[in-house]
This record gives sequence, C-alpha cells and structure tokens, in this order.
Amino acid sequence: MTTTAPLSAARPRALTFGNVWLSLALLAVMLLYPFVFGKALNFGVSTLIFAGLAMSWNVLGGWAGQLSLGHAAFVGVGAYTMTLLATPERVPAFLGGPVAPWWGALIGMGLAVLLAAVWGALTFRLRGSYFTLSTIAVALVLRLVAINSEWTGGSEGLFMPELPTFLGLDLFDRRVEYGLALAFVALTLLVTHLLRRSRLGYALQAVREDEDGARALGIDPARMKLVAFMLSAALTALGGSLYAIYLQAFEPHTLLELPVSVQIALMAIIGGRASIQGPVIGALLLATFGEVFRTVFASANLLIYGVLILAVTLFAPDGILGLFQRGGRKLGTAR
Amino acid sequence: MDQAGLTALIQTLAQGLLTGGLYALIGTGLSLIFGVMRVINFAHGDFLAIGMFITLALFRTFDLDPYLSLLVAAPVGFALGFVIQRLVLARLGDRLSEGSMLATLGIGLIISNTLLLTFGAQPQNINVPYATNTFQLGGVQVSIPLLIAGLGTALAIAGLNLLLYRTELGRAIRATAQNPLGAELQGVKTAHIQAIVFGLGVAFAAVAGVLLMPLLYAFPTVGENYTTKAFIVTVLGGLGNLPGAVAGGLVLGVVESLGAYYISNNYRDAYGLVAFLLVLLLRPEGLFGRTVKRV
Repeated sequence: MTTTAPLSAARPRALTFGNVWLSLALLAVMLLYPFVFGKALNFGVSTLIFAGLAMSWNVLGGWAGQLSLGHAAFVGVGAYTMTLLATPERVPAFLGGPVAPWWGALIGMGLAVLLAAVWGALTFRLRGSYFTLSTIAVALVLRLVAINSEWTGGSEGLFMPELPTFLGLDLFDRRVEYGLALAFVALTLLVTHLLRRSRLGYALQAVREDEDGARALGIDPARMKLVAFMLSAALTALGGSLYAIYLQAFEPHTLLELPVSVQIALMAIIGGRASIQGPVIGALLLATFGEVFRTVFASANLLIYGVLILAVTLFAPDGILGLFQRGGRKLGTAR
Repeated sequence: MDQAGLTALIQTLAQGLLTGGLYALIGTGLSLIFGVMRVINFAHGDFLAIGMFITLALFRTFDLDPYLSLLVAAPVGFALGFVIQRLVLARLGDRLSEGSMLATLGIGLIISNTLLLTFGAQPQNINVPYATNTFQLGGVQVSIPLLIAGLGTALAIAGLNLLLYRTELGRAIRATAQNPLGAELQGVKTAHIQAIVFGLGVAFAAVAGVLLMPLLYAFPTVGENYTTKAFIVTVLGGLGNLPGAVAGGLVLGVVESLGAYYISNNYRDAYGLVAFLLVLLLRPEGLFGRTVKRV
C-alpha cells in the first residue's frame, strides 16, 4: 500500500529499541520464572495463557478496533472440542476412538474459525456497539447450550480424561504446561508481529482509524475485519484447549461467562490495545493484582478490574504502554 | 384447544405480559440514556441490583415495607447516575461511544463487587406476607407483587412521558437528543441535561430493582442477567426508541413465557437472546419504526 492511512499520532507506533529491550527482558523473566518460582507455577501458567488469550483478542480488538466481549465463546469452543474428542465415552462413534489433544485442539481451532466466519459475515455489516452487543449474545447462547445439553456434561461440566503423552511429556505436569503456555504466547506474539508488518495489518489499522477513508483506498473493511476475527478466533480456541488441560476439569460457568470475555478484553485494553506487548503487560498486571486481591477480598477480586478499567478509560486511553510511551516522547522532546 | 389448554395459554400470556412490563421499565432507562447520549450503559443491571439491595437493607434494618423503599431508591439512583455522568462520562469527549462501554463495564464491576463485600454472595430475599399472594381472574392466577410491579411500571413510564412532552425540561431533553449542538445554541445546558438523563435512566433501573425484590432473591451479580435483558429489550424496540422499548419489553416477556411453557424452561433465557440476535442481524433499527428514532 503506498498511501498512509491517517493513523493517529497518539497510538504507539513502530517497534522501537526500547520496546525490543522491554520484550527481551520480559522473555528472560518468563524463561527464568519456573526455576525461581517453582512453587507458584499455577500462577505462571494461568497468567501466560491469559496473556496469549489477550493477544489473540487483540488481533481483532486492537488491530481491527472491534470491541468483542464474547471471546469466551472461542475459549469454550477450544476447550470443549478438545476435551470431548479426547474422552473415550463422549467421542462421536464415527471417529472410532479418542483423538489426541493436539489434533483435538486443531479441530477446535477449525470450528472456532467457522463460527467466527459465520458470525462475522453476518455482523460486520453493523457498526460499533451493535457488534459488541452481538458478541455478548453469541457467547451467552453457547453457554446456555453447554449448560442444558447432555453431551457437554451439562452444568456439571467435563473432566479431562487421561491424555497421551506429548513428545514423551506428561501434559498434566505443570512444567510442561508452562512450556506450552509460553509457546502459545510466543505464537501469538509472532502472529501479531507478522500482522503488524503485513499488508493485512496496515489495512486493519486503516479500517480501525477511519472506515470510510479505508474504503476510499480500495480496502474492503468488512472482509478485513472478518479475516482478523477468524485469526483471532483460531488463536483464542487454541488457548482455550490449553486452558482446559491446565484446569483438568471445567464447567460452563468457569469458561463461558461474560467475566471471562471481559477479563481477556480488559487485559489487552489496560495494557495497550494497539501495541504488541500491551496485552502481555496487561495480563501480568491484572493477574498479579487479581492474585493479591484474591487474598484480601476473596471472591470480590474483580473489584480491582473495575477500578483499573475505569482509571485506564479516563486517564490512559492507549493503555499503560501508551501512557509510558507518551511520557517517553515528552521526555524526548524536553531534551 | 381444550378448556385447560386455553386457560394455560392465557395464564402464560398474562405472566409474560407482567414480566414483560418489568423488562420494559428496565429497557426504558437504557433506551432513554442511549437516545439522548448515545451511551450504552453496561452497568444498567448493577444499578437494578443497587435498588434490590437498598430494599433489602431497609427491610432488614427498619422493617420497612419494600414498596416504600421506592422513596429512597429512586432519588439515590438519580443522584448516582447524575454524579457518574458528571465525573466519568462527561470526561470521555470524542471517545464517548466506546469509552462509555468500557467505563460503565468498570462501574458495573465496582458495584457488583462492592455489593459482594457488603452483603456476601448468599442469595437473600425478604419475607413479606403478600409476596406469594395471588388472585384469581377467571381461572387465571396472577401474582400480587407481579401485578404491583406491572402497575408501577405503567405509572413510571406514564410519568416519564409527561416529563418529556409536557414540561420545559422535557423539551430540553428532546432537543438535546435531536441535536446537542443546536440545543446548546438555543441556550440549553446540554451537559446538565445529559447528567439529568443519565440520572433518570439509573433511577428507572433502581425502581425496577425495588419492584423485583418481593419476587426474587437478591445476590450481588444479579445485575448481569438484567443488563442482558435490558440490551435485548432495547434492541428489539430499536436503540433509543422509547415506545419501542416498552413494546420490546412486552415482546420479550411473552416470548420467554411461551417458550418456557411450550418448548423448554431450561432455555428460557435463550429465546430472548435468539430474538435479539435475529433482530440485530435482520432489522438493526428494531422491530418497530422505520428508522432509529430518537426520544
């Protein structure tokens, strides 16, 4: 594309050296984490999974600027598909036996893409709030299906069956799960990075900033948003499968409720939507705060989410990362 | 259809219409806010929860009749809305459409978790003697609290209509909804009007909470479900269309009732959601009216 779309200056721009160092530092911390905090691996795994989910959300929410509050639907599709296919007594007869979790995860991704394709094709004709409202409704409908169907285990949910080993590794070993979660984060980072520099990425940003302007440049906004939605759904479903293995047992309430969608979206938004590392930073921040507040406020730990989202919306619309970058730029000009 | 079947149908319809009246009340508040300010209020159900818990607290502390709590819940709701609009929404400027969704989402989380800290997670109800009373009308049973709720809804909506179409404030509100800049140029203090409108919308939600209290158990996250219902009602009627919201509420109540009776009670919440998705996709302007009408 030769014409530059009207990107607003306030958005975090290219990958600067500061960002590279920040990313490397984060990566080093993540790699060292299991050796230093061996006892807090649960926290590490769930935080990484959510970081990956936040980045998957960001493909649609950040780059395409479409606020989805229904991504729990894709987490659910990934988790349920993988688990159902791996459970001998629940797997459909024509498959002739349980499916290994990695193939199950792939099938889950496929189903998620299919769902996103249909849903997106129908809803991206609508703009703004209408799309957001539809995402909530779709996730709630899936939740009702999961609660009321027999094959999904109903409101009791599902137990993870024994899983075959993955390259000789036990999938229920927290260290293995940590490694997989880190790989998931790496994959979403890679996709986001490639997206940023690609034609599709630029087109998405153009659509986000000015849909009519983008159309004037020959971009088909609905198609671009659809592609971003499908990509986002696939990654989210993969994260969902991983989350299911981590949980070992889950019910519709833990997986398909609005707070799950909100949590994923908020991590990306609070960290910084239009950036690569924002969702990771947001996930680390919210998970840490969440953990601390869980010990203080027990089940009311979402309180901190409310306070943070309000504060970020009011004072740091580009997220924490945007705040720092704005501060950095100010320092830069002062010198 | 035999006699028993007919009675059951009428019973189901009556139940649906009365529940629908409550949905209309909740949806009207949301629609009013959207119509005037273009704000989608994600905390709407949580304001309803505040109404419920005010009723509960007053009943527990002073043994106050639940319906008298209206005198407290309505002004508290109005003040809360007024202040939130002034302190939060008014500051979002040109980021209002998406910023308001996020901000109200945050406010909702703050409300539900504060309620959780204050009242605990246990569902609680109040025991008033008439809570389970019903009266018979030609073989059809109607619950007294539901009937009172229906009447309360009708009164509240009639009152809102008087305010909007018979008072100077109402003119200012309608002017602000139609064209904020134009209204401002005519001397309407639109910022003030928007705060009043948000206050009114929240007061409607709180009133609905009071009217629901004798019928239901209160728990801190009860609002989530009602935020969804309010969205459904508003979209069915057309965003920002007040008569549409009333009709949308009644439609939702009847659809849920019929679906629960004739198809499956388990999917009660799903019928509305499916109707909502269909309307969103096929008629985003709502079931009623040609264009998205403002207040």
